[in-house]
Amino acid sequence: MSAELLINKVSKEFPGVLALNEVNLTLTGGTVHALLGENGAGKSTLIKIITGIYLADSGSLKVSGQEKRFHNPIESTHAGIAVVHQERNLIPEFSVEENITLHNPPLKLGIINRKERTRLAKQALETLGFEIDLNERVKNLSVAQMQLVEIAKALVTNAKIILLDEPTASITGSETSKLFDVIKRLKSQGTAILFVSHKLEEVYEICDTVTVLRDGVSVLESKSLADYKQGEIVDLMVGRHLAERKNIIRKVDRKATPVIELKNLQTSLGHRNISLSLYPGEVLGMYGLVGAGRSELARSILGLHAITGGEILVNGSVVKIRNFTEALHNYRIGYVTENRKEEGLFLDFPVRKNISVTILAKILQRLSVINPKKEDDIATKYVDRLGIKVVDNNQLALTLSGGNQQKVSVSKWLAAETKILIIDEPTVGVDVRTKASFHELITELANEGLSIILISSDLAEMVAVADRILVMRRYEIVGDLDNSKDYQNMSRSIMNSIQAV
Amino acid sequence: MKLKKILNDQRVVLTLLTIGLFIFFGLRNSAFFNVDFVIYPLLRDGATLTVIGLAQLCVLSIGHLNLAVGRMAAVSALVAGASYQYWGLTLVQGAILGVLAGALLGAITGWIIVKSQVNAFIVTLAMDFALLGLVTFIYVTFTGATAAFTTKPAGMDYWRSKSLKDFCVAGICGPKSIPMMLLPAIICLILVSFMFSRTRLGRELLSTGSNLRAAKLSGIPVENRVMTAHIFSGTLAGIGGLMLAYANGSFTAAIGSQVMLPSFLGPVLGGTLLAGGAVAVLGTFIGTMMTLVIRQGLSVQGIGLETLNIALGLVLLLALSVGQIQKMFTSIKLRGKK
Amino acid sequence: MKLPVFFRNRMTEFSLSVIFIIGFLALVATSNGVFLSRASLQGFLTYLAVPITIGLAQMVVLCIGQMNLAVGTMGGVSCAIMAVLMADHNLPIWLAIFIGLFSATAIGAINGALVVLTQLNGFIITLGTYTILLGFQYRLVKTFTIDKYPSSLPEFGKRNFVGFPYILVIALLTAIALSLFFSRTIMGRRILATGGNPIAARLSGVSNNKSIFIAHTLSGLLIGVASVITISSLPGINRSIGGDWLLASFAAPIIGGVLMSGGTIAIYGTVIAAGVVRLVDIARAQYSLDPSIVSLSVGVVTLSTVALSEWRRRRTERQNEGIKGSP
Ligand SMILES: Nc1ncnc2c1ncn2[C@@H]1O[C@H](COP(=O)(O)OP(=O)(O)OP(=O)(O)O)[C@@H](O)[C@H]1O
Ligand SMILES: [Mg+2]
Repeated sequence: MSAELLINKVSKEFPGVLALNEVNLTLTGGTVHALLGENGAGKSTLIKIITGIYLADSGSLKVSGQEKRFHNPIESTHAGIAVVHQERNLIPEFSVEENITLHNPPLKLGIINRKERTRLAKQALETLGFEIDLNERVKNLSVAQMQLVEIAKALVTNAKIILLDEPTASITGSETSKLFDVIKRLKSQGTAILFVSHKLEEVYEICDTVTVLRDGVSVLESKSLADYKQGEIVDLMVGRHLAERKNIIRKVDRKATPVIELKNLQTSLGHRNISLSLYPGEVLGMYGLVGAGRSELARSILGLHAITGGEILVNGSVVKIRNFTEALHNYRIGYVTENRKEEGLFLDFPVRKNISVTILAKILQRLSVINPKKEDDIATKYVDRLGIKVVDNNQLALTLSGGNQQKVSVSKWLAAETKILIIDEPTVGVDVRTKASFHELITELANEGLSIILISSDLAEMVAVADRILVMRRYEIVGDLDNSKDYQNMSRSIMNSIQAV
Repeated sequence: MKLKKILNDQRVVLTLLTIGLFIFFGLRNSAFFNVDFVIYPLLRDGATLTVIGLAQLCVLSIGHLNLAVGRMAAVSALVAGASYQYWGLTLVQGAILGVLAGALLGAITGWIIVKSQVNAFIVTLAMDFALLGLVTFIYVTFTGATAAFTTKPAGMDYWRSKSLKDFCVAGICGPKSIPMMLLPAIICLILVSFMFSRTRLGRELLSTGSNLRAAKLSGIPVENRVMTAHIFSGTLAGIGGLMLAYANGSFTAAIGSQVMLPSFLGPVLGGTLLAGGAVAVLGTFIGTMMTLVIRQGLSVQGIGLETLNIALGLVLLLALSVGQIQKMFTSIKLRGKK
Repeated sequence: MKLPVFFRNRMTEFSLSVIFIIGFLALVATSNGVFLSRASLQGFLTYLAVPITIGLAQMVVLCIGQMNLAVGTMGGVSCAIMAVLMADHNLPIWLAIFIGLFSATAIGAINGALVVLTQLNGFIITLGTYTILLGFQYRLVKTFTIDKYPSSLPEFGKRNFVGFPYILVIALLTAIALSLFFSRTIMGRRILATGGNPIAARLSGVSNNKSIFIAHTLSGLLIGVASVITISSLPGINRSIGGDWLLASFAAPIIGGVLMSGGTIAIYGTVIAAGVVRLVDIARAQYSLDPSIVSLSVGVVTLSTVALSEWRRRRTERQNEGIKGSP
């Protein structure tokens, strides 16, 4: 097979970081090529250079044998390159079908041909096995649904080269397997596919070749994936040997008064008969398919949506939580959003201010003046603890890599030192090492007495950290399982409880 | 290297530009250097407009606009004027009452915005309409044809016409060109700047402006902050209204009718974002002074109203693009290096 | 209750239509039917044309998340140019109209080009051009009223088509054309994409600079149309033309449901909102109300209209949140 895309000694520097340092990569038609690396290794930067969003400082790019230099995304699209970026990029006010055909709307006599547009969009969604009202506005979709629209958008262009930057980060197993079917079909048609993911199981399932980036350097260049074991790849990414974590079954006192208890809760969004208890120091997992209503439940508890029936008890007494301010200050409950860009970060603020936002009350000196030193110290503490890759604490959140942004979004709630923490999809787009240390951190915090509700679509993560797993389906709880920390076993029983009913 | 950094600061550039323009106009027509007729009134107007600019800046910080600043200023002047005329209050008592009226209006505006969830643009626009009606109605009803409260409490002329020259400490007096009116403006500048750069409240306001949803999910009481911003805006507009009235010498419905656009110019020229999340307090003063220097400078040249407007617009556009032109030059230089 | 997508997205426009009809009927009833007389109906409709077009001109810029503060002086200058050309230089009507349209469009294009070149917010740029154009307008008209041009133009303004003044027909046709532009052409969709999410638009091959430029130019063209309507509906042109356009131009689209943050348009909403505002005007004349009371009530009406539709929108949104999930 011929090399569809050839990257030769590409470098790119940002103020303070050399994001790419003479990176090489060969992408062949009919193969799926994994691009791996830790958060901030330079994967997205490379993809942005290939698609003309950034201009490389040096090095060359060949597409189908021809030397190219793209100055904007239009040029790369014309050269037959389609991309799903790490961040969702959809027009919120537009319909699903229009977003899918945005690159190249079908025309008839210079006017948009709606029939054809519907047909194209429908076809793309059907190949993904995903049903949704084509006329629904994208702003009304959930994160996972948007991600699927984004993938469909890349599929309609019939490109020769498809770049997928963490396409599976926010979708669940069943959607992922449909996506993989599509990838396999495209591969058999000779398409060249670049696949970025932090989920190594997936990578081994679908990819043929691999390139590993570490701190902007390609430490493994376009090798056959089958020649490397998972552990070897991780070591290459991290740059040292990473020990595997043992899963220990923790003891939780289920006789104590639950810190939070829901009794027959009903919400305006359609949750029915939700009853659950979270005990002190417990990590309660909530698993479910996309659209099961997990984040919505969390947000309802915190007062974002109306409660229409049942009651909420905090430390044994019935409460009414009206908003996040009350939740934080009166009940010491925090919520880490799954939607970091829209809800988790102040993009034009430095990292320091992002982390301190929940604890302003604690770092004051006289006249309610913020103590800059204390603020900086706390920021540094969490930057170190989570290994956030920054130039300094004053770097704007906007310029961090996706995974590092996620860490900032989580840090701010760790800093708040709450009693109860609801964490929604915390490791979306977080690399292997950080994920492991993050899981350790969760366990550590729980040992210190923090009670945690963990919402995650990553089953492995669920099994690794939760003490108990609740399974949700269509706004109802359909299973309550003690976690044996045995992946095979747990995944089977969870799937059973989802499929039952 | 350090010099370059200083030159990249928009405020420094604007200050240099303002001083440059000032000297330019003065060289062309030495009447421009006249202390009594040009410099003193220029600084006095600058003081007033700065305070009103700060009123706008407070709501810009959360990404809102206040189209009713001028009218809030008018109400505050109205209340103070009425209190002098009918209730015989002293200068300070009336001023406090006036400023409170401004704060109250700000609170009402903020409350409506929070409760109705309607865009601030619309609410303040409607507020402007409503207050315009109210103010005219009251003046006409109470004072008939004169449509003004003319009672001057003791001490009002002091603010209107005195300068630092009249302010002596141990026999040393200040320059004649600095009006007393600058004093309240400087106090406002210091307080607002302190609040935004150092305090929790300021940080919470800016966070609300930077990303409302994130602020809300981080436990910041965003609705209260929206109220706060509008209360500050009303208060500062009230102070500005009083300054306008004192400088004017009487209390009329026309007070504040000309300040809506200038209230944006100062903060925005200074570097405040319309989208919220970043403010430039000192920049507001510099930006305001620059527009005034241009306006005064042009009119001292004796050109007509028409040409004045054309020239004013052109110079403004040019001044506004300074930052951009600068950026263009730096990027060209960078590219040249490579 | 689950409303169809089409209807859900048009809640504001629906409430406005109801308000318009109720207001209209109330006026008819309280005036004992005088409002339905030919003359007063004619007056109502004739002076509806300008608010509609300037509302649309503002909407076009709002939809890319910017504002055009120069609507008034752009209209004033373009009217002045047409009047001066016809009165002082004896240009034929069609040529003068063409030049008037062209100059407004050109000014719009200049606004757009400046925004793109300086990368400054449109708010600032149009504030600058506003001042410049004000100077030009005063220069052109001085303190006179120019009315020495062929009377066929004002006469055209009075003509009507089965009760509908031609100039209102022009405004409505403009609205329809604009609606087609935004819903069916690539350029229209691209402008909306830029307004909705500029980064996403750029990644999808949309040139944001082009969108911004075209939106401002289009705004200029629409102001040109408004100027032509103005000059044919008034007996003469003086320096106050356009002085009261700014607020009206914002009122119509924003009441009509257009978001200030960009990405949305509401053409029918803008048209019907202009109608509602016009009804308030008529009511003032009819009950000979004090202008200060009127501005007070315009304030109150504006607020309550928007608050109502906002409340409806949020209610439906809450109802629909339930269906978000379930793939
Ligand atoms: N616009 C920018 N300005 C400054 N630095 C940047 C910018 N974009 C990226 N960087 C830096 O470049 C480095 C590489 O970032 P990149 O987004 O390519 O990482 P990544 O490999 O995609 O990581 P992740 O797995 O977290 O998505 C990071 O250190 C990041 O902070
Ligand atoms: Mg990335």
